[in-house]
Amino acid sequence: MTISIPTAVLIIVLGLVGIGIYALLTTRHLIKVIVALQLLVKGAMLALVLAGHLTGQDDLGQSLAITVIIADTIVAVIGMALAVQVRRVVGTLDLRSLTSLRR
Amino acid sequence: MAELLILLTIGLPWLGALFCWAAGDRHPRLQHGLAVAFSLAAGIAALLLIPFGKDQVLITLSVGGAFGNFTFSPDGLGVFLAAVATVIGSLAVIFSVDYMRSEDQLGRYYAFVLFFIGAMVGLVLTTNLLLMFAFWEITALTSYALISFHNDDLKAVAGGIKALIITQFGGLGLLIGALVLFANTGSYDILTIIANPGILPAGALAWMAFGCLAAGAAKSAQFPFQTWLPDAMEAPTPVSALIHAATMVNAGVYLLARFFPAFEGVPGWREAVMAVGMLSALLAAVMAIFATDLKRVLAYSTVSQLGYMVYAVGAGGIFAAQFHLLSHSVFKALLFLGAGAVIHSVGTRDMRQMGGLGKNMPFVRLVFVIGALALAGLPVLNGFWSKELILEAGLAHGNPLWMLFVMLVVSGLTAFYSFRMVWLVFYGQPRAELHAHDAGPAMKVALAPLAIGTLTTWLLAGSFSRLLSESLPAHQIAAHSTGEILLEVLTAPITLIALLVIALGLVCWWQRDRLAGVKRALTGLQITATNSFGFEAVNRAVVLGAQNSAEKLRSTQTGVLGWNVAYLVIALIGVLAILLLGVGLP
Repeated sequence: MTISIPTAVLIIVLGLVGIGIYALLTTRHLIKVIVALQLLVKGAMLALVLAGHLTGQDDLGQSLAITVIIADTIVAVIGMALAVQVRRVVGTLDLRSLTSLRR
Repeated sequence: MAELLILLTIGLPWLGALFCWAAGDRHPRLQHGLAVAFSLAAGIAALLLIPFGKDQVLITLSVGGAFGNFTFSPDGLGVFLAAVATVIGSLAVIFSVDYMRSEDQLGRYYAFVLFFIGAMVGLVLTTNLLLMFAFWEITALTSYALISFHNDDLKAVAGGIKALIITQFGGLGLLIGALVLFANTGSYDILTIIANPGILPAGALAWMAFGCLAAGAAKSAQFPFQTWLPDAMEAPTPVSALIHAATMVNAGVYLLARFFPAFEGVPGWREAVMAVGMLSALLAAVMAIFATDLKRVLAYSTVSQLGYMVYAVGAGGIFAAQFHLLSHSVFKALLFLGAGAVIHSVGTRDMRQMGGLGKNMPFVRLVFVIGALALAGLPVLNGFWSKELILEAGLAHGNPLWMLFVMLVVSGLTAFYSFRMVWLVFYGQPRAELHAHDAGPAMKVALAPLAIGTLTTWLLAGSFSRLLSESLPAHQIAAHSTGEILLEVLTAPITLIALLVIALGLVCWWQRDRLAGVKRALTGLQITATNSFGFEAVNRAVVLGAQNSAEKLRSTQTGVLGWNVAYLVIALIGVLAILLLGVGLP
């Protein structure tokens, strides 16, 4: 049984997105949330490149991926900065302690 | 040339809005001047645009595949309503110079008024349904902001939010119509669907037709959405005259008239439109008879007259509907601005405290009486001709006669409440110590053209019908000269009947003391009418239900990240499932 390259990439995409969502659903640690978000977005990025390749628009998919990389870096940086502040103000990185909506 | 004029008519008010806002509230004189200058310039541009009226797309803004091209076309309906919006808009702005003299935050006021005028022009000139929806919502937003202009007054804020919610509900209908059109044809072009409604499957066309009916009814304050307009009367009176009498509420009638050739074949649509118009006209006229707040009487009469127009569209009388729209815009703006002059002078809106004001404000009484006579539909004034044309349209095309009978009764009620209003405000003995003074100079400048318009716009019937018939081929409007139209009205038997009914309404008001027994018998009706026939109770129940269910759903808002992600994933799976199953849109 041979697996074509697009199929392999698709499997990797699904793996990354699946791990990301699973981690987001289960983790309560803010740093881990940011890591999970990174994994998720990397999967989405790979999916963009793959979609560009499959529709014959390699350049479009890749330039979109680069755009996502830039946006995603900013997300990571700001997330980390927020984590530092949360640690300083709240004293813990546990997400449950950040919940203020519940009555 | 025409392209430039279209851009100017939309762009000038918007530029003016920016300038008025940027001028800063410390320079009220500059703000007044800028607003008057820009609105007048827009009015002139719109009037110059009228001779260019034809059904041809002149401006095309390409914005990519998802939205289709943003197109503008100066056809008869569009240029006519653009002229009404900008000319009455500029008169309302001139009136505001006196009316809003001592108010703070003029920048916010004028910016929203001018923003509204530009959006209204865009709404009627565009031929892209999605762009029309965008303009539609901008007018709703500015209407909300201006109703709640006195944002320290709870009633004003509540009225604004009510108007926003109810018109949004109708706006959804328009959005559904636009999306159905796009899903089936891949474009938002209005002209295509009007010229050839067959490109949509019958089911989809029905969705679109009734979506647009809901949108039009909500915007024009028609049954069952009529409750927002009376509460919108908390707005400054020039705003009521411009937005809630002369322009924005006409957008619903415009929408129905615009799409009439596409929707008239939809089973039940025309009957539904006529029924909506008839019920609105009847219920609102009864409520106007019992109302005691001057502006609310005018608001109810607006709903009632808009009901006439909607009825006429359903009856197939597009020309009659649009002609009455023109007449109504002029005389109702006159009535509202006249009422504004009275309220500004005496400081109350309660007609029970007024009375005998005519002696101190003869000019306002003169123009107000002209407006009221037109509203009652008495001969020679513009309201007479257009209302008779509507009744004639109700007689044609095999429309149900009992609906026409109801409309005739309503015209009698209209005469009755018009005279009651005039009498309570300007004649009789003063009922309270009110210090009335006549209108200021800017108010007179705004009132005089409207009074002259009320006396003369019926002379435009011929050129108006020619404009519509030449530029709206799909609507099949026959062009007649003014003389032909007037002769047709005068010789129609329905005119005589209507005049008799109107006279009966007048006699009822004249002999009101002898009819005291009848009045007592109608006490039950009075109580029901002042309670808006139970519609307010429905509104309250809806609001309460929404609040209660929100309180119950509150437990789902945990604020825990894991749950939020879970909801996202579940929604995503739902969307994917719908796509995989290929559930078709209507």
